[in-house]
Amino acid sequence: MVFFDTGDAFKAPPSLDTSYDMIIIGGGAAGLTAALYAARGSLKVLVVEKAVEGGQMVLTQEVENYPGFLHISGDELADKMREHATHFGATIANAEVLDVQLSSEHKRVVLDTGQTVESKVLVIATGAGHRHLNVPGEREFEGRGVSYCAICDGTFFRDKDVAVIGGGNSAIDEGLYLAKLAKSVKVVHRRNSLRAEKILAQRAFQNPKMDFVWNSVVKQIKGSEQVSSLLLENTQTHETSELSVDGVFIYIGIVPHTQLFRNFLQTDESGFIVTQCGTLETSVPGVFAAGDVVQKELRQIVNAAADGALAATMAIRKYFE
Amino acid sequence: MALLKEKDKAFIRDKFEKELENPVKVVVFLSKDEKLCHYCNLTKEILDEVAHLSGGKVLVEVHDFDNEKELAASYHVERVPGFVLIDSKGKDNGILFSGAPLGHEFATLLEELVLVSANGNPPLKASTIEKLQQVDKPVKIQVFVTPSCPYCPGAVIMGHYFAMVNPLIQSEMVEATEFEELSRRFQVSSVPKIVINEGKAEFVGALPEEQYLGYVLQGM
Repeated sequence: MVFFDTGDAFKAPPSLDTSYDMIIIGGGAAGLTAALYAARGSLKVLVVEKAVEGGQMVLTQEVENYPGFLHISGDELADKMREHATHFGATIANAEVLDVQLSSEHKRVVLDTGQTVESKVLVIATGAGHRHLNVPGEREFEGRGVSYCAICDGTFFRDKDVAVIGGGNSAIDEGLYLAKLAKSVKVVHRRNSLRAEKILAQRAFQNPKMDFVWNSVVKQIKGSEQVSSLLLENTQTHETSELSVDGVFIYIGIVPHTQLFRNFLQTDESGFIVTQCGTLETSVPGVFAAGDVVQKELRQIVNAAADGALAATMAIRKYFE
Repeated sequence: MALLKEKDKAFIRDKFEKELENPVKVVVFLSKDEKLCHYCNLTKEILDEVAHLSGGKVLVEVHDFDNEKELAASYHVERVPGFVLIDSKGKDNGILFSGAPLGHEFATLLEELVLVSANGNPPLKASTIEKLQQVDKPVKIQVFVTPSCPYCPGAVIMGHYFAMVNPLIQSEMVEATEFEELSRRFQVSSVPKIVINEGKAEFVGALPEEQYLGYVLQGM
């Protein structure tokens, strides 16, 4: 599909002020919505995004469950959210956060551009990244057949055999995308049924190119220059088998981006941030969290956006009124 | 048939009006042999549309790759479609595109036209600029991308920033699906994949400035 993106290239950093009312770390659905609400609430807002506005959303080819849009690409939805936030005056800077320093009055954020910015309120909306299998061969073959981004790399596996590891929404969604390009898609899942939404699961079951390897985990990724096979183990019988593939796409869950915050914020055993129900304020006053990075049951674009709205609104009520 | 939607045209017209400073020349090499160059016509068409929206600030200069090899070589253009961005002082910034600027790479092109039009320095840290200025041997940075890869523009632009600092550095965006043989040679199966000096160093992913620079220096 030929398309022309006009907006989300890495931009030269805008000239930043040193002080803001609210700094939001992360420019996905949660961060951009928090920015929209805070900017509309007359706060001076800075969003710091290290990669691409939209976050994980931009990896989703088609979003079908964001209300108001029957079909919209994740990328287009991200563009709209960014435009919406900046329309009301939020500033977006593409930079990586190196350090966060807290005092009772101010939250200071050190950026990799060499700048330090501070604000009264901080919103952590850093989201999450892909979880690794941590098996032999995974690191070695990353970029040589091991991938975590079907939309980026799917084209290299045109008419080839690929495996998708995982049984959740991401795994099945990406599997369906890959089935348009690849010769075959084997879904390897450790359970005997999919956790993905029924509508996605049904599409996968009906797709003639997709096949399922149940109750199986990957023990090793093998190959010489490129991936050539997976060593699988059946979780019931403990028998091992080898599956020939040219590529493997791994979607076995997410890990929260909270390394910078774990030493001063309360997180759960997986690293997700624990927040006050109803306000999304963290264990540190003036620091809020929103989106996938928060400990919760459902991680969708719609409730990431809702988190952003709630965090920004509660921050305004408590600290600016 | 216009490639860009009306809404995008309006956005670009407005962006260019606000942000383009000096004229920029896009020197593009194409081949008449459509079998060899599936994307040449498309590239010409999209560059023409962009030029048309720039109020005369973006100029497109078309050359025949098959008959102007020497000129192509002087711009380090080795493949078609291939183009470079030249600023109003005639400076070749080492910014090279191989392949049509489609998908997310179209956004890269827009950002870089604005950057080159300022005739200035790229927004890098002083320490990075200093290290790049000390480079005294030719460096070739190739950034393999696919149009649908949202992280790729970051890696392309960083390479292009580096190239702007030192005339010995060339940085090439390579649209991997258009140049399969080259992609196979460097075993590209994830993007962005960055190859320094024909493989002396390489990495996958849009790394931040310092790590990216580390690989570039390592590959010299």
